[in-house]
Amino acid sequence: MTDLSLSRRNFLGASAATAATAAVAADMTSLDVLQNPLLAGELKQQGKRVILLWLAGGASQLETFDPKPGRPTGGPYRAINTSVPGVQISELMPKMASRLSKYTSIIRSLDTKNADHGGGARLMHLGRRDEPTVKYPDLGAVLARELGRIDSQVPDYVSFYTATEGRGNAISQSGFLGARYNAMFLTQGNVPPNLSRLAEISDLDHQQRGELRKLLSERFADGRQSASLASHNESYSRVRGLMASETLFDISKESQSVRDKYGPTLFGEQCLVARRLVEAGVPFVKISRAWWDSHGQNFETHLELVSELDHVMSALLDDLSERGLLENTLVVTLSEFGRTPQINSSLGRDHFASAWSSSLSGCGIKPGTVYGASDEDGRTVKDGKIGAAELFATIYRAVGIDHRKDYHVGARPLPLTDPGTKPVTEVLA
Amino acid sequence: MPRWLLTFSLLCLSFATLARGDELLSADKSIEEAVDHYVGAKQKLLGVQPAPLADDANLLRRTMLDLHGRPPTAAEVKAYQQASDAAKRREMVERLLAAPAFARQQGATFDALLMRGTNASLRNYLTEAFKENRSWDRIFRELLLGQENDPEQKGAIAFVKSRMKDQDKLTAEASSLLFGVNVSCAQCHDHPLVDDWKQDHYFGMKSFFARSFENGDYVGEKPYGMVEFKTTAGESRKAKLMFLTSQVFDEPENKEPDDKEKKAEKELLEKLKKDKKAPPAPEYSRRAKLVEIALAPEANSFFSRAIVNHVWNRLLGRGLVMPVDQMHSANLPSHPELLDWLARDLQAHNYDLARLTRGIVLSDAYARSSQWKSTDKRPSDELFAVGIVRPLTPWQYGTALKVALVNPDQYGADLAGSALDTKAQQLENAGRSFGDKFELPGEDFQVSVDEALSLSNAERTSTELLRVDGGNLLGKLTKLTDDREVATTAVWNIFGREPTAEEVQALESYLQARADRRDDAVKQIVWALLTSSECRFNY
Repeated sequence: MTDLSLSRRNFLGASAATAATAAVAADMTSLDVLQNPLLAGELKQQGKRVILLWLAGGASQLETFDPKPGRPTGGPYRAINTSVPGVQISELMPKMASRLSKYTSIIRSLDTKNADHGGGARLMHLGRRDEPTVKYPDLGAVLARELGRIDSQVPDYVSFYTATEGRGNAISQSGFLGARYNAMFLTQGNVPPNLSRLAEISDLDHQQRGELRKLLSERFADGRQSASLASHNESYSRVRGLMASETLFDISKESQSVRDKYGPTLFGEQCLVARRLVEAGVPFVKISRAWWDSHGQNFETHLELVSELDHVMSALLDDLSERGLLENTLVVTLSEFGRTPQINSSLGRDHFASAWSSSLSGCGIKPGTVYGASDEDGRTVKDGKIGAAELFATIYRAVGIDHRKDYHVGARPLPLTDPGTKPVTEVLA
Repeated sequence: MPRWLLTFSLLCLSFATLARGDELLSADKSIEEAVDHYVGAKQKLLGVQPAPLADDANLLRRTMLDLHGRPPTAAEVKAYQQASDAAKRREMVERLLAAPAFARQQGATFDALLMRGTNASLRNYLTEAFKENRSWDRIFRELLLGQENDPEQKGAIAFVKSRMKDQDKLTAEASSLLFGVNVSCAQCHDHPLVDDWKQDHYFGMKSFFARSFENGDYVGEKPYGMVEFKTTAGESRKAKLMFLTSQVFDEPENKEPDDKEKKAEKELLEKLKKDKKAPPAPEYSRRAKLVEIALAPEANSFFSRAIVNHVWNRLLGRGLVMPVDQMHSANLPSHPELLDWLARDLQAHNYDLARLTRGIVLSDAYARSSQWKSTDKRPSDELFAVGIVRPLTPWQYGTALKVALVNPDQYGADLAGSALDTKAQQLENAGRSFGDKFELPGEDFQVSVDEALSLSNAERTSTELLRVDGGNLLGKLTKLTDDREVATTAVWNIFGREPTAEEVQALESYLQARADRRDDAVKQIVWALLTSSECRFNY
């Protein structure tokens, strides 16, 4: 993979060379004024990354990380032993079972109250309830801001949502952090829109008209001062770098053996793109896999989806680990909620937010730990109940972000997580 | 002690009243005089010498963007520059206010404020209302109580209806948009930073909306029902009908219906829904009570000050109170007396927003250059001593791009009256559709990289903005043989001003270096001008 490590170096090198002063000015908004810039800088230099595997529609905890074999709610699948003594997961995840002690921690005690797709998806993207007059940034936007580099030439936040189902719930908002941290949002194909130059203009002319634009804009900015104005020129100054990142989305640059490991599915290919992106320095990538909303035929649906998840997730973790990226990359699986223990008359499971699971792998995580427990039928949380805020605090801590920090919008402090929120330290390394 | 400092401290004592009428500048002064009096006094007190007034081209562009939502064409700028009448600025403002484009821009602006620009029916209502200069108190009444069956009010109630599924959202947004007070922090506990706002205020405000519901296409209101909440001490409390002034209002005894009555009510509502009819109006409407309270003398400073602050924020790029939804005793206005004076003036003149707008736009404070050339330290924005650069709204930028690309020969100085308006409206519609991808600016707005990528590489940019045809600017420019003329014409058309010598030189040498592919080079010049900050901002 020499070509890839080369391209990675190119990115990191190029970004420093083209750092524009306007970019720095744009970031120094009133947000975050109390934050110690030195400390923030140090954290960012550690190059932490997050990949979110979003299981849209609501994956069943019973057919993944919290099986209840032999119980009326257990369904047809067995539970199998994992590489962690005493911990079992669904037989649909044999590959993850053998890797659990190496990479992954399971949280089995989410009780998030909201079992409606829209509301649940918002909650699990924002880590908190909506407040009418504040538009909160989602997880990706926060991580893009905290882990990204101001002068970065790669995208800060890439979100794949190519499945049609549930796209209305494909939350993506940078909120009060500003459009700088908007997702590069892919709904068609695996390459973001508008990254390629149109054939009618040569690369040289494309670059030079950008320079002419810059010249005119700098004349205009002389004697004028505004963060919005600075961000305008900053966003254009990123265009060429982002265009160069187009190759990152091209998995034909990978060897066939690597591609085979991920497999030929859309989800697998997107996870391979995600690995390429984090390797090049993209701080947050979200891959959405849909559609888990199995009100009927839950077990057929999960046979297919969980088997794919097991395969792709373990390939991704192996690949990250082999490249030395996993110690700096956190991989999260999350849905808007889980599924009812009760099996309905269509052999389905319905929406359920009272006792469900998430997994965290890699960066900052103590592998092989299981936090919390549901009762014997999986109907309620028996031990270690947490909500979205605690899960988010745990994610922030895993990548070295102080979950108690405040953002400031005007004079108003907006805490990253609500005051008093505690991360699940049991799963943190 | 200077007088403004005195009132400053008085204000801390009684924030929500406008009782200091006799201390304020006389009510018979014009708005522009009052604005310049107060803004100038504070600058003087702090020893700040403001920037000079913007030049004709700049000021016309700013005023047209604010009042009509589009920049002027080159011909309009030249005509304005040539006029030598001393009253030409006032005449220009009067002309812009009287044109139909002003109502359209007001409609779009208030739809953006109240609904983030997403509700076409509200925008249509507002545009019609502003056409007849309907007063703000009446619009306010119709936003909260508008009758769907009345064609004049239809559309207004979308303000309530669109938030009906979430009464906390309705409560918080109505309070912050209409009264400048964000009480949502007090939902779970008394406001941690602002003594003014307690849980009682939040739930008191919520009580005004809590009986409202959606029934089919209609908003109805039940005659009974109380809001209950838990205090942080764990005590359950029935909310009192309480306005932001802390006034509590008694209401007629309401009786919870028994099961039988409830069943009958449900059946009736189902039937009305099916017949597409409005639910019966309650004898006592809490929403109507809110309108009455908000406009009564004891309370309406919230109402008047909030709208004055919004209008000021829009026209000057920064509110007299910032953030605009944080008007409370711990967050004082930059110019307390001016805010009071303008609120009093608005009340005394039938809540006439066109009048308020005219006055602000005619002030020197509005007309300051946005460029700070002095060697003195740049004054802070809240002194309004230098013009504040403002990002265009999506529809303004879309329209600005379309206006810039009009062939100047087809939009000459002779275009006027309804022919001008028809043409302008076509450009606005085209601009709105081109601009839907841009984001609506808010506080701390940043331009997204999506916008830059789209204007750099999208097919639509090429086919819609950089198309060469006889009817547009590129058609004209590509026919010109003189480089200097190309440069000059392009800058005039897109920036609406005389180019500087350096600009002409830069563009000329760009063309010369690409003489082998001249048409492409002309397109690239046009692209660079359209995407330059000067075209993207109101300055």
